[in-house]
Amino acid sequence: MPHRKVSWYKMDNASVMYSSLQTEEYSAIYRFSAVMTEKVQPEALQRAIDKVMPRFPGFRSRIRKGFFWYYFEPNKAPGPFLKEDVAEPCRPVRFNEDNNWLVRFYYYDRRISVEVFHAISDGAGTLSFMRCLLAQYLRETGVEVPNENGIQNIEEKSTAEEWEDAYSKYAVKRCKAQPLVKRAYQNIGTPEKFYTFNVTMGFMSVDKLKARAKSLGVSITDYLCGVLMYVLMKKQRSERPIKEKPIALSVPVNLRAYFPTKTMRNFILTVQPWIDPSLGDYSFEEVVSLVHHYMRIHCSPNEMRAAFSRNVRFQNNKFLKIVPRFLKNIIMTVSYKLKGTKPYSAIMTNPGIFKVPEEMQPYIEHMEVIQGQATVPRPHLASMSYGNIMEVTFSGTMKESELEREFFSFLVRDGIPVHIESNRQRPNGAEGGK
Amino acid sequence: MSYCVNCGVELGKELKRCPLCGTLVINPNDVERNIELPFFPQRQQPVAPVSKRELALLLSVMFASVAICCGLLNLTLRPEIQWWLYAAGAAVMLWIWFVPPLLWREMSVLAKLALDIVAVALYVMLIALASGGLDWYVGLALPLMISFAVISLIICFLMRGGRRSTITSIVICLVGIGLMCIATELIIDCYFSTRWNPGWSLIVLAVCLGFSMPLIIVRCVPSLREETRRRFHL
Repeated sequence: MPHRKVSWYKMDNASVMYSSLQTEEYSAIYRFSAVMTEKVQPEALQRAIDKVMPRFPGFRSRIRKGFFWYYFEPNKAPGPFLKEDVAEPCRPVRFNEDNNWLVRFYYYDRRISVEVFHAISDGAGTLSFMRCLLAQYLRETGVEVPNENGIQNIEEKSTAEEWEDAYSKYAVKRCKAQPLVKRAYQNIGTPEKFYTFNVTMGFMSVDKLKARAKSLGVSITDYLCGVLMYVLMKKQRSERPIKEKPIALSVPVNLRAYFPTKTMRNFILTVQPWIDPSLGDYSFEEVVSLVHHYMRIHCSPNEMRAAFSRNVRFQNNKFLKIVPRFLKNIIMTVSYKLKGTKPYSAIMTNPGIFKVPEEMQPYIEHMEVIQGQATVPRPHLASMSYGNIMEVTFSGTMKESELEREFFSFLVRDGIPVHIESNRQRPNGAEGGK
Repeated sequence: MSYCVNCGVELGKELKRCPLCGTLVINPNDVERNIELPFFPQRQQPVAPVSKRELALLLSVMFASVAICCGLLNLTLRPEIQWWLYAAGAAVMLWIWFVPPLLWREMSVLAKLALDIVAVALYVMLIALASGGLDWYVGLALPLMISFAVISLIICFLMRGGRRSTITSIVICLVGIGLMCIATELIIDCYFSTRWNPGWSLIVLAVCLGFSMPLIIVRCVPSLREETRRRFHL
């Protein structure tokens, strides 16, 4: 593990999947951005990166190709270096480019962005890293920030627990696949030309969202999932299919809440709230209620442990172990298409509230999150909150913007004012819009 | 700040159109917009497609080594027959099939198909030359391949983009098969008896047209099309 001198270490089962799937058409890169109240000082930020990176050795790794598996190796190349931000975020990672770095840093005006390849860490791990980076950046600009509220001391060395494979640690012999909808409504649109990535962000008040969610007796995540499923259901109906397919979301759940670990590597599992419109009409309240109860029933430690134990068992399968890597990549790609793409209509991820010590709060205006390119041209949704600002991002390579429009218009109609920013120059690819 | 009159959302300062619906933003109170920096960066950094040169080089070396090894082996194993030419020709054909599409990514499906057929024609010509005569190649094999190529290219052209309906695609394929059979019999007859005596190919064409006509009618009549979709949906 990275806390001691190691020359290489194995991937966890999520890392294996993301590494195998990485192609030109898929980017398992995600981005967290902090929009500061003052213009970013690039020199101070580069100093902060240089000081923080050694504390997080998992982020200082590179992916190497073995004969049977990919594996991680410490990256001793110079960098990573801060760059000026680019128009297209979350560009696909190439294992042999950019000095093999799997993490990127950008700045633009008041925005600090960190892009991470999902194989090295999940959202919770990266937010911990981001928190530490922002604290160090503020220190470099003369602000006193204490090492509390999740800010780790960069003088200390990382521990083995921080880089353990928590999936293997908690995997048990009893395992069972989650009952999944086999084929959901796909919501696939016209692909943009290579590589054009559309990002639309909606900003809204956390208080108003919370009040509305509370009036329905659900959490903010349940509410946003409900809105997304409801507009997907309406969209499918407007396309007048012969037979309506189920609407299913992939909602990543942070397993740290159920299985105590300090790991900063991947430790998530997705659950699949779904509705079947072929059974009849659902009101919005019914959809939200179904999502809420589905999440409560299926986010149980036993069920989730059984599901990820199955993935671990798959990785430890003696036959699969001796299959060469290039064949494993093909198996993983087909498997992901059947188990990771077809059963879902969209991904909805909410890493939650970004909390920082009081001393940092006056310097951060809001936070942003962007999910990378999906394997198919359809938008994914990500949200996170900081203070009283909830940020919701639709990102994807789909030309059409109907889903975003319906989603945000629904929120407005539901009493939640939304402010929109987007990098779409011409909606629907036409000069005049629709 | 302006709002979209369609969607009801508040729009970013620099947005001239609503990014959700494309509606033009007209705010009489906000004519002069002095935006220092747009919300999203504008710096373009194109993503270069992954280079396939290494793979192309690897395949080229593999095919070349197969040809060379067979050539060397032919010196000792049955040297009276130039059998290595068949292996070398097959390697060249496979090279044409796989390597140019790796190097020229923008190559269209039609161009790929044309190139593949040319590669097959060259390989068959090599076999004809090695087996002592171009007679059957010029009179039979080449016309058959040309007719196959022309009909295949027309079918590919008509079905390009994959946007044809299932019924139209079936009709195009059926007519293509019928025409291919006619061309095959014509070429075979001309080669062996110098006179076209249509027989089995007309039966195949008639069957293909027989299947196609009801499909064309179904395709053209919306009510029939809807009924067919309902009865045969998967």
